Amino acid sequence: MATKGRRHSDYRFLSNIALADIAFVARGDSLQSLFESAARALTEVMVDRRTVVGRVTRRIDVRSPTVDRLLYDFLTELIVVKDVDSLLFKDFKVSIAPGRGERRLACEMRGEEIDRDRHALRNDVKAVTMHMFGVKKAGGKAGRWEATVVLDI
Amino acid sequence: MTEVKNAKQISDVVWEIPPSYKAGMNVPARIYATKKLIEEMDSGVFEQVTNVAMLPGIVKYSYAMADAHWGYGFPIGGVAAFDLEKGVISPGGIGFDINCGMRLVRTNLRLSEVKPKIKELVDLLFRLVPTGVGVKGTVRMNQSQFEDVMRWGVKWCAENDYGWEDDVSKVEEGGFIKGADPSKVSQQASSRGISQLGTLGSGNHYCEVQVVDPARFFDAKMGKQFGLVHDDQVVVMVHCGSRGFGHQVASDYLRVFDSAMKRYSITVRDRELACAPFSSNEGADYYGAMVCAANMAFANRQVIVHRIREAFKQVFRKDPEALDMHIIYDVCHNIAKVERHKVEGGSRDVLVHRKGATRSFGPGHPDIPPAYRALGQPVIIGGSMETGSYLLLGTEKAMEETFGSTAHGSGRTMSRTAAKKQVSGRDLQQRMEKNGIYVKAATWEGLAEEAGMAYKDISEVVETMHQAGISLKVAALRPIGNIKG
Repeated sequence: MATKGRRHSDYRFLSNIALADIAFVARGDSLQSLFESAARALTEVMVDRRTVVGRVTRRIDVRSPTVDRLLYDFLTELIVVKDVDSLLFKDFKVSIAPGRGERRLACEMRGEEIDRDRHALRNDVKAVTMHMFGVKKAGGKAGRWEATVVLDI
Repeated sequence: MTEVKNAKQISDVVWEIPPSYKAGMNVPARIYATKKLIEEMDSGVFEQVTNVAMLPGIVKYSYAMADAHWGYGFPIGGVAAFDLEKGVISPGGIGFDINCGMRLVRTNLRLSEVKPKIKELVDLLFRLVPTGVGVKGTVRMNQSQFEDVMRWGVKWCAENDYGWEDDVSKVEEGGFIKGADPSKVSQQASSRGISQLGTLGSGNHYCEVQVVDPARFFDAKMGKQFGLVHDDQVVVMVHCGSRGFGHQVASDYLRVFDSAMKRYSITVRDRELACAPFSSNEGADYYGAMVCAANMAFANRQVIVHRIREAFKQVFRKDPEALDMHIIYDVCHNIAKVERHKVEGGSRDVLVHRKGATRSFGPGHPDIPPAYRALGQPVIIGGSMETGSYLLLGTEKAMEETFGSTAHGSGRTMSRTAAKKQVSGRDLQQRMEKNGIYVKAATWEGLAEEAGMAYKDISEVVETMHQAGISLKVAALRPIGNIKG
C-alpha cells in the first residue's frame, strides 16, 4: 500500500451548489490521499464515521482509463457496496498504479454492516454526478491534488 | 418589454431567453415564473436551461418550470423534447433517480377520525415502509422475477398480491412503459436493486398522510371525479423512485455516453449533459435499461402502497377496500418518453425528457385512464413536508405549449448544507408537531435538510402554472403525518 505523501488529506462541503444535492471539494498531498479524502467525504454524507467500528475488512479493485474516471468509478463502487452488502467504512487505504492505457486502484477498507441503532446515519447517496466533476493538480504546493464532486441525494 | 436576468417577458408568467444569449443555442429557452420567482431563481437555472438548448436535435424550446432550481446537467424543473432521428437521449436529462415520482391514494376517512390516531399510524408506517441509508425491503425475489418487475412494473405487483387489479390503470403508462430490455442492465445495477423493492430511500423522499384543505379545495366538482368528496378527507402521498437500481443504470450509461460523445462529435458544456443520438446503439441500449428502472420505480411505489394499506387496516381495523383506498393517480417526474406532440404544424413522435417535471396531458388524450379521460390527467405536485402539496389537472394548453408538461414540486432555494446550519432536526420536529404535523424521520440531519424554509413557496409555483393554463388547481393537501428517510 502506498503511504508516502499521506501527510495531509482533507475535504470540505460546499454550500449553494446543485441545491438538492451535496457538493464537496477533496484535497490530498498525493493522488492516493486525495482518493482517501474523497472516500471519507462521501462516507460522511451517509454516516457519522465516528460511530462506525472497523470490524470488517474489504478490498476493492478498480481499473479506469483516466484519473478522473478512476475517482468516479471508485466512489460509485463504494455506493454499490453500501447497497449490495450494507457496508459502511471507517477508513480507507488507497494505492494507485499506472497500467497500460489505464489506472489501477486497490483500496483496503475497514468498516461494518449498517446498524440503525448504533450508527448516526445521514443521507442515502444515490450517485456521483459528473456535474462540475474533475480531478486536478491544485496550484501552490507542489504535488497537491484536488477534486470537486457533486453527489445526487 | 421587461427583462430579468437576460430573459424577456412574454406574458405575466412566461419568460424567454433568445438563442443569441449564448453561442450554440439551437432553440430559445422558456421559463415559467412570476416576476418574483424569476428574480429569486438561482443563476444555475439560467446557465443550465440554456446549456440544454444547445443539445443536438432539441425541438421548440428548452423549458424551466416555475419550481426550477440548479441541478446537475439539466436544471431541476427542466423539460426538453428531441427529434427521434437527429436528437439525443441524456441520462442527465432524466436524473439518477429514474422515474422518481408521486403517487396519491385516497381514503374515505375524515380528519376527525385520523387525527386521534396519527401517531400510531405514522409509527406503524415507519415500521412497515423501510427508510434510510442502505435499507432493504421485504420482497424476496430471484433474478428472473426481478426481470419480470423490470418488464411489467405495477402489473407484476398486481399479479403477485401486492396490489389491486384497478391499481394498474391508475398509474401513468398503465403501470409499465413498453420497451424494457433487461439484457441492457448491468449485473451491478440488478444487485443494487433486487432487495430494495418497497423501500422509500432518503433525501426528499417521503410518505405523507394529508388532508384536503377545506379553505383551498378549489374545484370540488373535479375533486369528486377523483373520489375526493369531503373537504377534510384524508389521503396519502408517496414520493420516491427506482432506488439504487435506477441510480446504477444512470451511472453505468453516464460513463458509456461520456466516452461515446467523441464518436458522434457531440460536445456539451457540462459533462453531466453527456448524451448520445437516440437512434444510436448506445441511445437504444440506455432507453431499454432506463425503462427497466422506470418500471421498477412504479413497482416500488406499488409495494409501498401495499404496506400503507396494511397500516391503515391495522390502525383503523377495516379492510383497505372498505376504506376506499384506491390510487387516485401516479406520475413520473424524472423520465424520458416517446410521445406524440404537435410540432411545426404537424403531429409527430418526439423524445420528451422531464427532469423534475410532470406530465400534464389535457382532456381527451388516449394515454389518460378511461375513468379520467374526459377530464384531463391528474397532476400531483409534492411540496415540502411543512407546507403541503397539490392535486392539479392537465390541460390542452400544456399540450400546445410545453409538450404536456408542468412543474413537479416547490423547488429548493437553499442547499442541504445551508439548511441544516439554520435549523436542527429536533427543533423542526417539535415545531411541526405544534403545527399539527407528526413527523418521524430516519435521521435528524435529514429532517433538517427538508425544512420548509429551504423551499420556494409552493403556492406561488402552483399559481404560476395555473395562471399560465398549464395545470389547473383542484385541491391543496395539508400534511398531518409524515415519514421520511
